[in-house]
Amino acid sequence: MKFFSEMRPILSALLRNKTGPLLVAIQVALSLAMLVNALYVVQLRLESASRPSGLDDESTSFRLNISNQKMGGHEDQVALQKQEAATIRAVPGVKSVARVNSFPVSRSGSNSGMAASREQTNSTATAAIYLSPDSLVETWGLRLVEGSDFKSTDYLELNASASREFPKVAIVSRALAEKLFPGTSSFVGKEFYQGTGEGAIGMRIVGVVERLQTSGAPTDLEGEFSVLIPIRLTNEPFFGYAVRTEVGQRDRVMKEVEEAIRKASSSPVNVHSRSMEEFRYERYRSEKGLAWMLLTVSVLLVLVTASGIVGMSSLWVAQRQKQIGVRRALGARRSDILSYFLIENWLITTVGIFFGTLLALALNQFLVSQFELSALPVQYLFVAPVVFWILGCFAVYAPAWRAASISPSTATRGVT
Amino acid sequence: MLHYYFLLGVKSLRRNPALTALMVLILAIGVAASVSTLTILHVMSGDPIPQKSDRLFAAQIDVGPKENYVPGQSRSDHQMTYKDAMAFLNSKQGVRRAAMYGVEGVVEPARKELGVTSMEGVATSADFFAMFDVPFLYGQAWQQTEDSSAADVVVFSRKKAEKLFGSVNPVGQKIRMMNGEYTVVGVVDDWKPSPRFFIYNGRTAAFASEDEFFVPISNAIRRETPHSGSMSCSSSREPGWQSLLESECTWFHFWFELKSSSQRSDLQTYVDSYVSEQQKLGRFERHAPNKLFNVREWLVERRVIGDDSKISAWLAFGFLLLCLVNTIGLLLAKFSVRASEVGVRRALGASKRQIFTQFLMEAAVVGLVGALLGVALAIGALQLIALQSRALAAVAHMDWVMVAVTFLMSVSAAVLAGILPTWRACQVTPAIQLKLQ
Repeated sequence: MKFFSEMRPILSALLRNKTGPLLVAIQVALSLAMLVNALYVVQLRLESASRPSGLDDESTSFRLNISNQKMGGHEDQVALQKQEAATIRAVPGVKSVARVNSFPVSRSGSNSGMAASREQTNSTATAAIYLSPDSLVETWGLRLVEGSDFKSTDYLELNASASREFPKVAIVSRALAEKLFPGTSSFVGKEFYQGTGEGAIGMRIVGVVERLQTSGAPTDLEGEFSVLIPIRLTNEPFFGYAVRTEVGQRDRVMKEVEEAIRKASSSPVNVHSRSMEEFRYERYRSEKGLAWMLLTVSVLLVLVTASGIVGMSSLWVAQRQKQIGVRRALGARRSDILSYFLIENWLITTVGIFFGTLLALALNQFLVSQFELSALPVQYLFVAPVVFWILGCFAVYAPAWRAASISPSTATRGVT
Repeated sequence: MLHYYFLLGVKSLRRNPALTALMVLILAIGVAASVSTLTILHVMSGDPIPQKSDRLFAAQIDVGPKENYVPGQSRSDHQMTYKDAMAFLNSKQGVRRAAMYGVEGVVEPARKELGVTSMEGVATSADFFAMFDVPFLYGQAWQQTEDSSAADVVVFSRKKAEKLFGSVNPVGQKIRMMNGEYTVVGVVDDWKPSPRFFIYNGRTAAFASEDEFFVPISNAIRRETPHSGSMSCSSSREPGWQSLLESECTWFHFWFELKSSSQRSDLQTYVDSYVSEQQKLGRFERHAPNKLFNVREWLVERRVIGDDSKISAWLAFGFLLLCLVNTIGLLLAKFSVRASEVGVRRALGASKRQIFTQFLMEAAVVGLVGALLGVALAIGALQLIALQSRALAAVAHMDWVMVAVTFLMSVSAAVLAGILPTWRACQVTPAIQLKLQ
């Protein structure tokens, strides 16, 4: 009750001199609105950067690309591919090797439209296609949640520039399976199509992996639509190898594999390897950059607002020295003076918080309409006021303490 | 008088050192934050070829299938099929025409110690170099005759040429690359339009990479050089290189150079008639509008400036606004303790206008000092941003325009912030203040 009885004089004092308090409230409102939205964007970016790729141990995975000057005919290429894979496998520390067209999160690969039935005119989803004559499930350590890996008879060998034959089986990621066949829990045995209409290629699902990101890894659900196809292609110069190493030996193995391939080739070749961690780092670099920038600005926002509160309350204390002295002389305790300033500041911050929350929602609306951003979660609007109340208390405490230390004798000095 | 007020302003910086320092610091931080994000937007949205950006045109024609198509739906594919690119190349439209696609080439330098490396480049036609005003260090572009004979000729970038041949003129030398023996015909001097608009494959590439070599497009096609970049195929196709060329897969970029921007409608007429001609053959089933973009329209269409940069800029300006409000408060504090000084000056005959000018000048001095600090902070901030990403490193540098903008922004922010406190200071009634002395 004491609290409310003290409110009245504070309120009437505030209403008599509005400019200063108004400025503080505006600062609180502006910084709350921006802080909430900035931190939300930070959360979104960091969340997207930490999504799992589906590989069970990213620190042991890398991709190796070989650009050969001479490719030769289909048979020569098949032989060369097998020899290359054997050369890599022979390097100590290599656990598994798979020839593959692209790598998750590497931002280089191919996508294709998938449909649940041949009659569809629109494809249901665009999925990343991973083509490999080896077991990617093993090399990438993908987790099968249904069905099994390809059998050795599933793998096809074909010449991309002469044939259009295509495997009849595929392994899909769970996200894609659920998108193609919503409401179903078992997907093995189901048929789906790459493309639509007459030319669509039918494939039967033999296995479902829990998760496998696409090469682009966009932030929406599409980032997890992937298809594994058991096939060896020739005349595809951009294919490479996925390699999995023993724990802790990746960097050494990367160097040794590059060297081994160079030595094994009769003609000069260009060998280039990159680790999964590098892909991830490159892919999310701009996300992290933005997150850092927003965090820095957020810290500055808080500091500037706090300094504004400190500055303004110091001014008020200085201006009211005489009144405080009079109050003290008339019997007010130090704690009364302290609480006067704390309550005054609390009132001002609360007004700021109220309008700041409205402003935050408006700003969020604006960001949603202009950029690809989802609406602000409610908990932000509950946490932010608490942060600013605490910030306000801390900021005003030093000036308020100075006010409380004013001696009652001030009242008797310099009376005009 | 202004000069005197300026000196007074400088002097008064020392009056409340803590308060003044805080004010300058906050102003500088606010200005630095907005200037550094603005710099990035400024460089990103810069015109890569200002002398003829309104005369260069890219065309967008829609080869997609009729299925799935909703009339009016905008198309994300900005590339072209081989057939159409070649038809445009052979047309007589405009002064110059260039078709192009990105290629990757493996090169075996004569200096064996360099090893085999791969390089990024462009397969294009002879007009490319004159069209984009590409400067030559040695030699020159290849000629139309070499385009038509699909000759093994190559133009290198200065950096690549120095790496491969050392700092001598390599024109006329032969080099093994892309499974053939190529003759060097020219070396391009430092040339890196930013953004790399002519082949736009995403923001990262647009600001980071440099083209290391150029070969005739006819040669790249003859050697069946695969594209490096994106390709979009709307229908399935037969296997093999020849069928890829005949397919509806899009992977080429095409630019026209017109004599003046007023010929745009002629070009539009040509493209429309070409497309309707092809429609008789059963192509372009969508009957979508054919669009032309000049360089600036192209950059907008391709969204060269990322959402992230825009969000940062908006936030930075919000931050500046906060700093402004803060400065108003601090100036109010600084000026309010000087009521007696104002009272004395008014009593001695100074007009309100003179007091106003003096105090506003004082605010401007704060802004000026804030600008000095702000430029330093902005340069530091940009360096930090450049560390974050290679794509941003290319755009995160300040030029004189931005330094001028910083000063203008800081001083006007301070003056703007000073208006209310100054007005307040002028309201002092001399009689009351004198009585209080």
